[in-house]
Amino acid sequence: MNIFRAHDVGDDWDEVRAELTRAFEVAREAARAEESIVFMVHHDDLLGRRGPGRAMVAAGLLSAARSAALEGSRKGWTANVVAFDDDADPTHVERWAKRLAEDPAGITGELLRVGVSHIGKALP
Amino acid sequence: MNGSIVVTGAARGIGRAIAERLAANPLFTVIGVDIAPELGLANPSIVAVQVDLTTTEGIEAVGRSIDEAGLPLLGLVNNAGITRDSRLVNMSDEDLRAVLDVNLGAAFHLSMALSDLMHEGGSIVNIASRAYLGNFGQFNYSMSKGGVVGLTRAMALSLAPRVRVNAIAPGLIGTEMAMTIPEDVLEKMVDAIPLGRMGSPEEIANVVWFLLTPLSSYITGHVLVVGGGRSLG
Repeated sequence: MNIFRAHDVGDDWDEVRAELTRAFEVAREAARAEESIVFMVHHDDLLGRRGPGRAMVAAGLLSAARSAALEGSRKGWTANVVAFDDDADPTHVERWAKRLAEDPAGITGELLRVGVSHIGKALP
Repeated sequence: MNGSIVVTGAARGIGRAIAERLAANPLFTVIGVDIAPELGLANPSIVAVQVDLTTTEGIEAVGRSIDEAGLPLLGLVNNAGITRDSRLVNMSDEDLRAVLDVNLGAAFHLSMALSDLMHEGGSIVNIASRAYLGNFGQFNYSMSKGGVVGLTRAMALSLAPRVRVNAIAPGLIGTEMAMTIPEDVLEKMVDAIPLGRMGSPEEIANVVWFLLTPLSSYITGHVLVVGGGRSLG
């Protein structure tokens, strides 16, 4: 199962690049195996609330997932993102990530947000 | 007020149009930054700084050029970018690294280095791409431009209320880069644009002008898609 959970990084380019590279390697292997992939990020990072390092990783993964989804659509695999906030039940977060990795049922290139902190905020 | 504005990737295409649009206003001293040697020929009223922004030396050189200009720093336009397109299954580690370093790393380093120098009321404009919404064969490019969007949001929060930070996501723009696309492919891409044509670099420069000046004084952390409606079609 190809689930990539973004690590917290500092505002340090080497850390950011290493994290994005790690995600790329996982995604490339999934694509070569024609398997679906899910990226997991913190919702606050999509809105830049926890600093530029984490924001670059989270928003970068969301955009990369959308591009991967276009490629996967020709081969039958999917790419999605699960975003969670601090109040989200971790079992719910894991359940959705696993579901999208194992049985996406036609969902691809999507951002699924678990929790309520995104309501009324910008659409990433 | 008089001041300086830094524009990266200023030798060609969108960056050149931005630099020339800004340089046409006598209030602004434009510091054009690019790795390309032809930068100095672009416009005699643009201070040319030929450096590699993926290096510490390059970032420091931009800082020195601002000092030498002796004017308040009013704006920064992070425009420098490259593409290395391929399908994800074939994409090399180097394709990823090069695109991330130029498109995202340089914008990050320069923004961090210059943000303290920015004059109150200053503005940073990051040139992202409509590809941040996803594009076939551009996993690396989308990742880098999505990162630029994330950088924009985070810095908008951290620099408010002193400095505004926004991004522009251009669609298909008639640059040298677009002219390398095979004609039949380009035709299909244009057909998918509701406004029925490619954008011009000058049309992006006009939006940069809007975001750099007080015309947009209540806008920060925003991503403005300038793509002729392509995101709807």
